[in-house]
Amino acid sequence: MLREKYKAEIDEILSRYPLRRSALLPLLYLAQKEEGYVTEAAMKEIASILKITPPQVYETVTFYTMLNLRPVGKFHIQVCKSLMCALVGSDTLLGWLEVRLGIKPGNTTKDGLFTLSKVECLAACGTGPMMQINDDYYERLTEEKVDRILADLKRDGTSSLKSGPFMWPERTDG
Amino acid sequence: MVETVKLTIDGHHITVPKGTLVIEAARQVGVMVPHFCYHPKLKPDANCRMCLVEIEKMPKLQTACSTPAAEGMVVRTATTVVNEAHKSVLEFILANHPLDCPVCDQGGRCDLQDFSHEYTPTTSRFIEVKRVFPKEYFSPLIETQMNRCVQCLRCVRYCDEVMDVKALAPSGRGTMTEIKHFTHHELDCEFCGGCVQICPVGAITSRLSMYEFRPWMLKRADTVCTYCGDGCQITIQTKENQLIEVMSAQGAGRNNGDLCARGFFGYHVSTHPDRLQHPLIRRNGELVQATWEDALEWVAETAIRLKLAHGPNAFGGLIGARCTNEDLYLFQKFMRLVVGTNNIDSSARYGQINGVRALRRVQGTSRWTVTFDDIVSAEALLLVGTNVTETNPITGLKVKEAVKKRQATLLTIEALEPAVGTISNIANLAAHHFSVQPDGFKPAVLGLIKAVVEENLVSQPLAQKAPGYVQAVSEAVRRLSWQAIERATGSSSQSFIDATRSFTRTARAVILVGQGVLRAPDGSGLTATLLDLLLLTGHHGLPGCGVAPLAEENNDQGAVEMGAALEYLPGPSDANDQAARARLAQAWKEELPKGPGKSLMEMIEGARTGSLKAMFIVGENPAGSLPPSAGTMEALQSLDLLVCQELFLTETARLAHVVLPACSYAEKDGTFTNTEGHVQSVRHAIELIGESRPDWEILSALSVLMGYPLEYGDAKEIFKEIRSLIPGYGLLGPAPTPPRPDQAVVESYLKTGYSSGLAERYTLGERRAASGERKDFSLTLLVTQTLFHSGKFSTRAKGLLQVQAEGAFSLNPADGTRLGLAEGDRVRVSNDLGEMTTTVKLQDRVPVGLALFPEHFDQEARRLLRVSTDPATQVPYYKSASVKVEKAK
Repeated sequence: MLREKYKAEIDEILSRYPLRRSALLPLLYLAQKEEGYVTEAAMKEIASILKITPPQVYETVTFYTMLNLRPVGKFHIQVCKSLMCALVGSDTLLGWLEVRLGIKPGNTTKDGLFTLSKVECLAACGTGPMMQINDDYYERLTEEKVDRILADLKRDGTSSLKSGPFMWPERTDG
Repeated sequence: MVETVKLTIDGHHITVPKGTLVIEAARQVGVMVPHFCYHPKLKPDANCRMCLVEIEKMPKLQTACSTPAAEGMVVRTATTVVNEAHKSVLEFILANHPLDCPVCDQGGRCDLQDFSHEYTPTTSRFIEVKRVFPKEYFSPLIETQMNRCVQCLRCVRYCDEVMDVKALAPSGRGTMTEIKHFTHHELDCEFCGGCVQICPVGAITSRLSMYEFRPWMLKRADTVCTYCGDGCQITIQTKENQLIEVMSAQGAGRNNGDLCARGFFGYHVSTHPDRLQHPLIRRNGELVQATWEDALEWVAETAIRLKLAHGPNAFGGLIGARCTNEDLYLFQKFMRLVVGTNNIDSSARYGQINGVRALRRVQGTSRWTVTFDDIVSAEALLLVGTNVTETNPITGLKVKEAVKKRQATLLTIEALEPAVGTISNIANLAAHHFSVQPDGFKPAVLGLIKAVVEENLVSQPLAQKAPGYVQAVSEAVRRLSWQAIERATGSSSQSFIDATRSFTRTARAVILVGQGVLRAPDGSGLTATLLDLLLLTGHHGLPGCGVAPLAEENNDQGAVEMGAALEYLPGPSDANDQAARARLAQAWKEELPKGPGKSLMEMIEGARTGSLKAMFIVGENPAGSLPPSAGTMEALQSLDLLVCQELFLTETARLAHVVLPACSYAEKDGTFTNTEGHVQSVRHAIELIGESRPDWEILSALSVLMGYPLEYGDAKEIFKEIRSLIPGYGLLGPAPTPPRPDQAVVESYLKTGYSSGLAERYTLGERRAASGERKDFSLTLLVTQTLFHSGKFSTRAKGLLQVQAEGAFSLNPADGTRLGLAEGDRVRVSNDLGEMTTTVKLQDRVPVGLALFPEHFDQEARRLLRVSTDPATQVPYYKSASVKVEKAK
């Protein structure tokens, strides 16, 4: 149960918004951080915290590609397929990843390491084609770079080619 | 004065109130702008883009559904550009629509079909494969076929904005958006059928009528639903005398086209295979089939013999308030003239009488002084013991509309905890909610009155006009301490003060009184106290303000107004009102029987002691409603003559000497009077089942055989007579015109009338142990109505049985933990009267210390109940008991 484990965090999240329902996305992130994906139990619990119905939580989860309804691998590769990246070859990139990983988008490799997803714009249009792996961005991708990234991740669990996490809005306290 | 704007639509000039949407303005001049996502009940969403129109001086096409009309606007809806836009929108929708019209139940009344015929070329530029959603089981009553969906989201918005249920989720995004419930779970909701009705295409349809019809095959009858006092207009659609479906057109009736599960899915009762099709007569202890002639003659002969031997007052009559006004009127006339007794009662005795008594006493009306429209436009609403969503769902929608759309302040005093669940919960919308046990309704109301008095919120004109009254009430509430009120209600004095302040500062206030008050001890007194509240705040008598006791059965109000009660003559007039008696005697050309008459409980008592020898029971089942401790079975068994007019062989009918098959509401004509006092026409939708007959016809035939003919050609003739005798039955308009409080009665109440019973009304009463103090295994059992059934009648509707087929013992999860009970556990519930075994259901909305059990399945639960009778109103109370709960072995 999230409520017991993350009581302080949930209270802090709820305190940020004048409308309770606004806390939906941060709570879903919390739930996803906990299990790697958003479970049914988590959706029900969040609904009860926010005093909304489970279908209202569910519709939100299904709208956003960054929220997973199924377990994902250790590395969740999200490839941008929106127009800007498509113009500079995101489909080639995706095809290359499919070959290298041996899976189609939406699936996870047998060893449980990689999950491949196609997602909408990740707001790095100037540096396409690009992808996000877990919290990190990888930009201006080429086939060689992709190979190196996959090898790095397999070997070290991280890669020096990452350009870092997307800048989350800084909290402005007070 | 409403501000208006002038605009031109396709050359028509029109003036509309400011804020009217262009699409609505267009409709008013007869121009239909095609649309999917727009619906007058919902907020504009403008997602389907179908309603694009050209507006002069605007650079691009505009959506007519979200553009408010403005002064001097020139709108064109049928230009080449607009038509091209319609075409392209349809081309996009049809890119994915499966065009499976031949197997789609919507075929023939589908907006997409109609617009496609009107606007689309027969070819499409799309060559891509259409989207296909995997077929999922959605629910036992509602079918989804998502490939057909045009994603207008009307269903989702209706479920949220109108119903406040929020059970539908548009899952996914873009073209792949699909209407679901919660992940792969089947739908669990109020099953109001609103999504089926509002879907413009065949994406959401009813499973009860799947593949059975094409719209043009159906015969339609506009009639009135029989499942609660709201009196919703429904259209029953039939094919070859089979009930196919029920719908309610947008804007129709008092319900404005909205229905609940009972109205939408509960229609199969009328054609249930158990319907009685022939008269039955008891021979050698068995009920056997007989002809109408034999049965009626036997009844008439026996009745005449008993009347000669024991006199007319050895007879009693009881009628169900599900009958039409015509049935009710003729029944009391039959009892009063043909039999010659005032021993008449109806199921309005179970509660409605309490409300009517209070209204008559304080303001001299027998009806509401408000209408549903006043609920919608109220600024403050107080609900006391209503559980309105489950007992009067459509009145509930009016409250929701007032709160959600018009920002009314809602105060609720309910045995409900605010909690989100699969069905809506009115307490969630309340600005001030007092969650109390049923015995806390009165203390909470007194808390509000105390706050009015102590915060100097008493209306000044009233204080000047009736200083004695104000002083008496003020003293009465000052004697109550806040500590005692806080203890009895669990709410702080401040919360009463806050609630009262927000109530008194409004100009339009309506108080709804529910079954929790009316069907509980001293229901009449508490209703009168609520009228006191309205008098003190100065709202009483103002337009749009009033106290409104909710009727439980569809014609509870009619039963009282037709005089189907010992204390009322048709009108209703008091039975000892000499002027009314004389008027009626003149109209009936016969003297009325004298004497006080017996109420339901007195008749049962009379039957038990042998002073009552015969009973006519029409459409009512006391043996199945009253608990066994009332001894109804034994009493009825000792009668020399028991005649039942029934649809089914009920517990009472099984005891009868003769059972006469009556027809259901779907087979007869007549009128019902709904809870707000609106008289509406009932029209037959199917032919009579078997040899069944309307109740009035049976009574009329009996009257002839008993030598006092009450003959009428049809129900209309009876209605003509009703119309000449009873005010308020003259014109059947689209909306009721409520009576105004009788100032003479109000003044006499303020002068002296208030004082009788004042001391009892203004005490907190005995209090059961509050939940926190309970150490033992006891709970208060409350036998209540649920949303999915209406009495025992609807338990024969196959659609409703799919949603709720048995009773469960609902209690708060905290009580579950305290008693060591989990969801689905079997429990033994007992007290000194008996015991029952049932299943546990944990529900957040049930207050701690309380347990609910649906009355529709109370065959066993009734054993635990004790009856007490109100000495003043003769209303029997038997809905609550103290019980011990333990896990069944």
